[in-house]
Amino acid sequence: MALVRKDLASLFGAPTAYLALTMIALVTALIFFDHLRQYNLMLFLVTTNTMGGFDFGTIPETINLWDRVFSPVMDSLGLMLVGAIPLITMRVFAEERVRGTDELLITTHLTPTRIVLAKFTVTYAFVALMMAVSFVYPMAAIEQGGVGIEHLAAVFMGLLLLAWGVASIGLVCSAFTSSQLVAAVSGWAVAFVLWDFSWANAFVSDEIARFLEALALYPRFAAFSEGIVSLANLVYFAALALVALSLARFSFDLRRVGA
Amino acid sequence: MYELSVGGLIALLFGLASYYGLGEMGIFSQINLALGGLALLAAMASGFRRLGSVGGPHSRPVIARGLALIAAAIALGVLAERMADRSDIHFDLTFEHAFEVSPAVRDTLAALPVPAEALLFADGADRRIRRTRLLLEALAANGNLNVRVVDLYEHPELAERYELEPDAAASNTVVLVLNNDWEIVRRPTEGSIYEALYRLQHLESGRLIVLRGDGEGDIESVLDDGYSGFVTALITEGYEVESRVSAAMDEVPEDTRAVIVIAPRRRLLDHTLAALSAYLERGGKLVVFLEPGVESGLGELLEPWGISSPNELIVDPASAPMGKHRAEGLDILAYGYESHHIVTRRLGVNQVTLFPGARPLLLRKPRVEDRLQRMVVSSARSWRTDDLGWLDRRGRPEDPTQPRDHQTLVATGLYQRDGKETRIVAFGDADVASNRYLRAVYNLDLVLNAVHWATEQTPLISLRPKVLRTTIQFPLPLENSIQAFNGVGMLLPELLLIGGAIVWLRRRAA
Repeated sequence: MALVRKDLASLFGAPTAYLALTMIALVTALIFFDHLRQYNLMLFLVTTNTMGGFDFGTIPETINLWDRVFSPVMDSLGLMLVGAIPLITMRVFAEERVRGTDELLITTHLTPTRIVLAKFTVTYAFVALMMAVSFVYPMAAIEQGGVGIEHLAAVFMGLLLLAWGVASIGLVCSAFTSSQLVAAVSGWAVAFVLWDFSWANAFVSDEIARFLEALALYPRFAAFSEGIVSLANLVYFAALALVALSLARFSFDLRRVGA
Repeated sequence: MYELSVGGLIALLFGLASYYGLGEMGIFSQINLALGGLALLAAMASGFRRLGSVGGPHSRPVIARGLALIAAAIALGVLAERMADRSDIHFDLTFEHAFEVSPAVRDTLAALPVPAEALLFADGADRRIRRTRLLLEALAANGNLNVRVVDLYEHPELAERYELEPDAAASNTVVLVLNNDWEIVRRPTEGSIYEALYRLQHLESGRLIVLRGDGEGDIESVLDDGYSGFVTALITEGYEVESRVSAAMDEVPEDTRAVIVIAPRRRLLDHTLAALSAYLERGGKLVVFLEPGVESGLGELLEPWGISSPNELIVDPASAPMGKHRAEGLDILAYGYESHHIVTRRLGVNQVTLFPGARPLLLRKPRVEDRLQRMVVSSARSWRTDDLGWLDRRGRPEDPTQPRDHQTLVATGLYQRDGKETRIVAFGDADVASNRYLRAVYNLDLVLNAVHWATEQTPLISLRPKVLRTTIQFPLPLENSIQAFNGVGMLLPELLLIGGAIVWLRRRAA
């Protein structure tokens, strides 16, 4: 707990965290309000042209709040996470390595598992805060639009798990290098590769395509986004975190033996 | 090793970025993905070689333990995920429970002679595909359905085979294929897929005769007050529907499964009533929809069978607000169902049916062995009024002097006569089956199931999925989104930035 407190204090004691939160809130607001403006504009254009008003059946099925605003904003937010989170996680282990403070930590009574758990906890907490900040506008507007709160909760859960998944990948990349740049680039690359494997469908058999899809982040997030919370998807993200923890812990083993 | 892995990852990153940017796998993407993959494999091989040569005897157990832990974490994760996937435990949190498969669809899928194939034609940019695919997968999880997503532009020949233009307009169209037959579903919802599956089975539920010519409900009219939706639903469920001029009917044909009479506005001719009466006497099945304010002779037809209907109106405080032009209490939201009747046993207080302007039905057994049942009743606070003028004026009908009680909206009668079974279903309202109200709440289920009961097709009695999907197609209250962005959207980032600046200034000062 002491390490968690120390890392939290260090995180929020620096302006970087606030800058990251500001950027996320600003970019989300920009994306969201731009989609909303386009949706309202399109709706008025269609209703004006058809003179059918807002009666059911007069507006094309494709023009609806969910498909035109909420869903694309959530997808953009998901992709934005892949871009933003490795920038946050890159310093978590790599910075300690550069400063040599990780060796100090190892010499204390703390086990590598506890150190890794503390780092993951702090990062997850920060990412959760980031997601809460980015979710404010879509949630407020969609709630006014009449979508059930349960569906919104499912979407938020999906975004949060996706963010934690990307953070887990970023943390592992940070744990294996002392260069923050390398940590960020490899975090982007791994998360981007794991994002979706639909590009490989043309080259592989159906069985392999299904296997790759089971590995991918986006289809898991997509199910939450559509309002389905399945145990398999929850376990997938938990398993991702577990594997990331074990890999990050292994990086300490390698340091201990000087590899 | 690090150089190789970082280089490989960057190559993969650019290969994928190019793929997503262009929307196709060009030569740049292919080379980058291939080189990136090779570099990563080489880096992994190099890494393992290096691990093998690390340190002395003290180091190896540490590394072996670490690797074993990773392997255990991966194995545990994969095992748990596979088990969770097999368990298929999930929660549908959508407002309309769009991914919960209804009993009717499950039964229909189970009844298919061979598995059907669902081809989902997709334009990559169409966001609806994701939802439709999830829906199809939810249906496929119940068995007898294989799902395949087809790229419209990669397989135009497949689209053309099913008479679809391979363009964006065909995206999100589902083609259900069973044997050599297919059905096209352009707005895929669970309900529309269910109906298509039903049509593919080519069930033969028998021939129905619907009377016309004396002001009966128009089964060809697609207007709100028409009944084309009712007939379409009957055809979907396997019936052959034949429209007959009532005045020309001297006898009901032998092969008729049931006769449907939808609220004649004029009195039926005596010989028509006699033909219907004779039909009932020899074990016929009749479904009648009555309307208040009209004496069509159906009352006389039903009277010997123990069903009468005084020319009155039911007034029920449990009614829907259907607009200012209507008097209060006439548009009844019914939730009282006979729980032992096969038609209504699945309907409860949460499955309301709407009866806009209904007349009451009174039941009296002609013989002890006859079974007359009230199938749907109004609330216990309802009453009857003989002032039919309320149909055309606004306001609130005055409270009754007589006690309030349930009023019968739908009744069924089952009679044994000379070894033959006669069945009658009487509705105190015809609007319940009109185009305007048929798809509202549970009207369709009630009406179709009542017909199935009359025709003795009880296996077809079910609760159907809703065909329409709830979509929000109105502008959000944030009318001027740019103004809203400048007003509210900037507030949160501003506050966060101020917080960051204060922290930075304090640290500098310290």
